[in-house]
Amino acid sequence: MTSSDPTKFKVTKTARLKGIALCIANLPGTERVFFGSSDFKVYELDLAAEKPQPVEFTGEGHQSYVTGAALAGPQLVTGGYDGRLIWWDLEKREPVRTVPAHEKWIRNVVASPDGKVIASVADDMLCKMWDAGTGNLLHTLVEHKPMTPHHFPSMLFAVAFSADGQLVATGDKVGHVAVWEVATGKKISELEAPVMYTWDPKQRRHSIGGIRSLAFSADGKLLAAGGIGTIGNIDHLDGPSRIEIFDWAARQRTQEISDTKFKGLVEQIAFPREGTWFVCSGGDNGGFVSFYDWQTGKVVHQDKVPMHVHKFVLNDTQDTLYAAGHDQIAVVEFKAVPVPAEPVAPAS
Amino acid sequence: MSRQNFCGSAEHGVSRRTFFGTTMFAGATAFAANMRVMDALKNPCLASELKRQQKSVILLWLGGGASQFETWDPKPGRPTGGPFRAISTDTPSVQISELLPKMAQRLKTTAIIRSLNTRNADHGGGTRLMECGRAVEQAVDYPDLGALIARELGRADSQVPDYVSMYSETEGRHKGGPGFLGARYAPTFLTESMIPPNIRRPESIPEVDHQERADLQKLLAKRFAEKRYNASVASHGMAYERVRGIMASETLFDINQEPQSARDFYGPTQFQEQCLIARRLVEAGVPFVKVARAWWDSHGQNFETHLELCADLDQGMSALLDDLKQRGLLDSTLVITLAEFGRTPGINASLGRDHFASAWSCTLSGCGIKGGSVYGKTDPDGHKVEDGEMKAGDLFATIFAALGVDYKKEYHLGARPIPIVDFGCKPVPEILA
Repeated sequence: MTSSDPTKFKVTKTARLKGIALCIANLPGTERVFFGSSDFKVYELDLAAEKPQPVEFTGEGHQSYVTGAALAGPQLVTGGYDGRLIWWDLEKREPVRTVPAHEKWIRNVVASPDGKVIASVADDMLCKMWDAGTGNLLHTLVEHKPMTPHHFPSMLFAVAFSADGQLVATGDKVGHVAVWEVATGKKISELEAPVMYTWDPKQRRHSIGGIRSLAFSADGKLLAAGGIGTIGNIDHLDGPSRIEIFDWAARQRTQEISDTKFKGLVEQIAFPREGTWFVCSGGDNGGFVSFYDWQTGKVVHQDKVPMHVHKFVLNDTQDTLYAAGHDQIAVVEFKAVPVPAEPVAPAS
Repeated sequence: MSRQNFCGSAEHGVSRRTFFGTTMFAGATAFAANMRVMDALKNPCLASELKRQQKSVILLWLGGGASQFETWDPKPGRPTGGPFRAISTDTPSVQISELLPKMAQRLKTTAIIRSLNTRNADHGGGTRLMECGRAVEQAVDYPDLGALIARELGRADSQVPDYVSMYSETEGRHKGGPGFLGARYAPTFLTESMIPPNIRRPESIPEVDHQERADLQKLLAKRFAEKRYNASVASHGMAYERVRGIMASETLFDINQEPQSARDFYGPTQFQEQCLIARRLVEAGVPFVKVARAWWDSHGQNFETHLELCADLDQGMSALLDDLKQRGLLDSTLVITLAEFGRTPGINASLGRDHFASAWSCTLSGCGIKGGSVYGKTDPDGHKVEDGEMKAGDLFATIFAALGVDYKKEYHLGARPIPIVDFGCKPVPEILA
């Protein structure tokens, strides 16, 4: 039975940072998080501490923004705009392996639920799958076009594993999504969410948006894609936060959520192991966390958070999320209030 | 407005327009055979005047304000620096953003100015300041750079426009204009179409009729001028020639006249095509062409915006410089990148950068410029200028000096002398060839 209740939403702790936290991972069963930063570094933060202080990982790290972080067994794998993947020893906080993985910016790094496979996506428009234990390349998934229809370089922002680890999905700037078999690296479906991409043909003549987040439902049948809807003035993130949910096998959209109460990018989506809600987060200059019912598309609960959220991670009991964002890490709890046990009548 | 001698010297009391006006009918080939002109060439100011001829300016206007961090003044590894690397260039010790890899191999023709402090971070005010080289003054309607260049480098006998401005974007679109110099120096302003409007012969007039009317006008004007020649008559005839020339210049704006290989060389975007048009115009004798590439106002998603727009700029600008060089035009063409301001060192919550005019960059390439030079320096985080601070007027003085235009020149608005650059401003010799 779930311990979570989105209506009990509460930001319980924040930790101020010097830089921008761009990605985050959580060691299961603990409040220890690992995050990548705009200062090119990787940190550990123990959110159980009264005043959490970031502890820097040492050794030769990244040379640009650190934008992806995933735990694979006893190791943390991070990726950055330097195109490198780095495997870190969690306890020593030192690198154990560095792989020149992509020729352009790595946008995200995720691990399969069993921790055996790492997937990275980058602006070379490739998704690469790696043996988490050895760092060997398993598959290179080639699908996304390097240029937008308007002759500009495209970007590959999003990647997600299914809960059973058999599928991986990738999503790009122009709203193209592909679903792949992990074992074979074979593409088995593709979807389109073009509204996520705003091209301004006249006033600004460039684009904004893209699919920024993907998540499979717990049973793997649905795939949610997050981003931002059509923007009038693309100088700002002044568009509705947007989520489209697909029955990916049938290639049909089942829900289309365009939310103007909280504007900006949907940077991360997560489905819990059970329940009918899912959670997403992101923002414009501010930040939000929203819970929706995936069957109806209706809001279950939504609220502001203190900063634009770039990534979050659910804890293993799925009643708390740790959010990485602009200049801070925030802890958001949504724990169900325990129902008092019925008093037991004394035996007569 | 009274006219000043073009070199400012009393003994060289011949104005450019008088010079060209009196020789207008001689034609270019007969020019050197005219003894008056040969004598004139001994005059250093007139020699300088001739040297200035055919010089041109192409202004690549980065409307909305490009980020100096993501272009010409990277600060990699600093809290303000953003995610991009700095890359080496063809000029030792000079690095620029990795977003401009092609320009990195062409800095030998380019000077980077990293020390503009223009203090106006408002789109409207900043645009006006950087267009005119001085702050707005209620009492005087100052001309913009294009009008000034048209006035100084335009040829009276030219049959092409003196000032063409391509600003196809709605946002930030600003026509600019000639101010007190008058409509003669107003831009041919292209917005919706890359072909100037209203220059086509009306369909109601057949080509034969059009040509016969022109021939008749020419014949009558010639007979009239033979017996009653004076400046007014010359000007009248010149106006007709000019209109006919501009009507015939439609093909200059048509990139379909170029082979596909040339179009591919520039690239497919509108900005890249406009760079190609700019080269065609300069080659035909247009002294000032503005290509506005909007809109760089990246309050949100600065890095993604610059990934797109810098790719566009890098391709278009590098192709333009290469093409000008191959055609022998780069030594006589000054290519400028400029905007109304730069962008903040701070990165906001939308991963954007906001307006910033205290320490930003521009470039000058080609004509009169010491390539490979970098002028000015900002502090390690790009918050302020540490060395070589430049105002808008200093930049204008440097542009004029590069073109051989006397930056101390004055116009007169009634009795009031108006210096061509703002009071107290002067060129930066370090970046002049």
